[in-house]
Amino acid sequence: MVVKQETKSMTGNDAASYAALFAKPDVIAAYPITPQTTIVENLSRFVDEGKLEAEFVIVESEHSALAACMGAAWSGVRTFTATSSQGLLYMAENVFWTGYGRLPIIMPVVNRCLAPGWNIWPDFQDSMAFRDAGWIQMYTKNNQEVFDTTLQAFKISESKDIALPSMPCLDGFVISHTTGQVDLPDPEDAFEFVGPYDDPVIALDVENPWAYGSMTGPDQYSKHRRDLMVAMERAKKKIIDVHKEFEERFGRSYGNGLIEPYGDDEADLTLVTLGTIGDEAHEAIDRLKAEGHNVNALRVRTFRPFPVENIVEFAKKNHKLVVIDRAASFGHDGPLRIEVEAVLKRHNVDTSVSGKIMGLGGEDVPYSAIIDLAKKELKE
Amino acid sequence: MPVTQKDLMIKPKDALLKGHFACAGCGSALAFRHAIGSVADKAVLVVPASCASVYQGSGKGVAFNVPTINTAFAASDAVASGISRALKRKGKDDLKVIVWGGDGSAADIGIATEIGACDRQENILHVMYSNNVYGNTGGQRSGDTMIGARTATTPKGNTTPRKMVPFILIANNARYVATASAAFLEDFVEKFQKALSLEGFKFIQIDISCPPNWRADSAQSIEISRLGVQTGIWPLFEWDRETNIAVLSRPGKKYGDKANRKPISDWTSLQGRFRGITDKELIALEEDTERQWNFLRKFM
Repeated sequence: MVVKQETKSMTGNDAASYAALFAKPDVIAAYPITPQTTIVENLSRFVDEGKLEAEFVIVESEHSALAACMGAAWSGVRTFTATSSQGLLYMAENVFWTGYGRLPIIMPVVNRCLAPGWNIWPDFQDSMAFRDAGWIQMYTKNNQEVFDTTLQAFKISESKDIALPSMPCLDGFVISHTTGQVDLPDPEDAFEFVGPYDDPVIALDVENPWAYGSMTGPDQYSKHRRDLMVAMERAKKKIIDVHKEFEERFGRSYGNGLIEPYGDDEADLTLVTLGTIGDEAHEAIDRLKAEGHNVNALRVRTFRPFPVENIVEFAKKNHKLVVIDRAASFGHDGPLRIEVEAVLKRHNVDTSVSGKIMGLGGEDVPYSAIIDLAKKELKE
Repeated sequence: MPVTQKDLMIKPKDALLKGHFACAGCGSALAFRHAIGSVADKAVLVVPASCASVYQGSGKGVAFNVPTINTAFAASDAVASGISRALKRKGKDDLKVIVWGGDGSAADIGIATEIGACDRQENILHVMYSNNVYGNTGGQRSGDTMIGARTATTPKGNTTPRKMVPFILIANNARYVATASAAFLEDFVEKFQKALSLEGFKFIQIDISCPPNWRADSAQSIEISRLGVQTGIWPLFEWDRETNIAVLSRPGKKYGDKANRKPISDWTSLQGRFRGITDKELIALEEDTERQWNFLRKFM
């Protein structure tokens, strides 16, 4: 049975901070960066007002923000921080340390492009740079999904059989600073869904001392990394299961949690997207269909682990995938397109793949631009 | 209560087990045995990239007999902050969170993190063991390298003064700051215990000999450290925020007076890193030593 919820009006950053509030993290680290800042500002207010009992660590850099969360996670408590863009890059070595160290830290990344030049608008270049860091990455399309995904992330990451950090991603400003409708559950219902973190993945213990991250030879090292690969594979099912449990309790879903198709199962052309462009693509699809075109869309919600099986299965029924990337791998192509192409090739699916890099540095990607792209591709 | 030689003989074996990878004559491993051993059942260690990340041993043979978290070079004080906060949440704040790292992290790459933790008054103790060089990367100059020292990146001799890290932390409102020497372990352990009894950010810089990088005889490791104190190179003091007074420590007290000191060349001559040091460099080293004493006297 779906629980009672209250419809509120809030920004995407508010939604992320409410998800954190309801999950009751023990340690939160905070450092400001636009457009992330209001997430930790909200949390500082919650702590000051006594709504949240947590240690709030006001650190001197993003490098230390994640480091403080790492220390707390090693001690076996629930942890939360958030960042963007240059901040994510500044904490880089700790981002990898967290992923490879299997610390279940939850860190929304409010996507913003990278300098130079100074620009605070969205693209996915920041989080894409960390696709290999051993973090679960989920890209959201609206404020509601930010709340839902952040809440789900705690449950997924802290499962002992997963033990991976999560990076819910939300487009800077388009989501982070835009007010929209969010259905908020009762805080206790939300907490009951996540559950207490009382059987931690890891917790230092003076009675049973161990050293963590000491020198490790090649055999053991490669075993650890294989374990990480296997955990990522397990995470696919976990994401689906947690997403399903969430749907049963709160009545909302995003495809199967890994991918979210839109429109008919089979079409002449499919728009493949990440993040808010996925939402904009729905409008484009509706209009194209009204003009008689046979088109549909596929939003990749979970980018890591990459939903290989679901994409293959979807692509088999379709004829032409047009991938819109909001990031670039310079010297190659858009990262989403590269990965979709590789997956289809490996599984002998001959559905054609093309793509376009759009929306860098906050360049607007309205449905009209998506329609133009689709029409051009339909002609080719 | 003063720590006696007898106290030191009881516990050290608990903290550093056989099979560690420290070099012969390593002052850091010696200091570790005694200090960490004195709180072995309560200590939680955070180790930035440093010699201690190596000499703790490897895999199932790790020789540190206390919970040990290895961190990135610049991350240790922030990781320690997170541990301290989490332990507080769990009601386990009787445990002692200790950063054990070298001068590369404390004087250079991690100094912002360290000052950050100090500024927040995190309840941790940072022990900076100083061999004045990036040790396990092969002996490159650090911000803690003395004038005249030949290192892998200053083959003709280092020309710049040392960063006075303890004073940087005093200036940033640390709870307790002290210096120590591996030649005077009772003094060190006493300061270590005192620091751990206080709430807030504590810092101890300990001089430890590094025979490979100092190109010194490992059998003279302690002798060199003792000469460091006796020549005035290494002032021994403790400073407490509540009094804002720096007090010279018993073993090093009389070297506050220049007349009581041995010549610095007694200390440099035992170390290959000073081979070929010129008179001009020696004078500059003496001047830098005096500069530190003059700074210290402002707090006495």
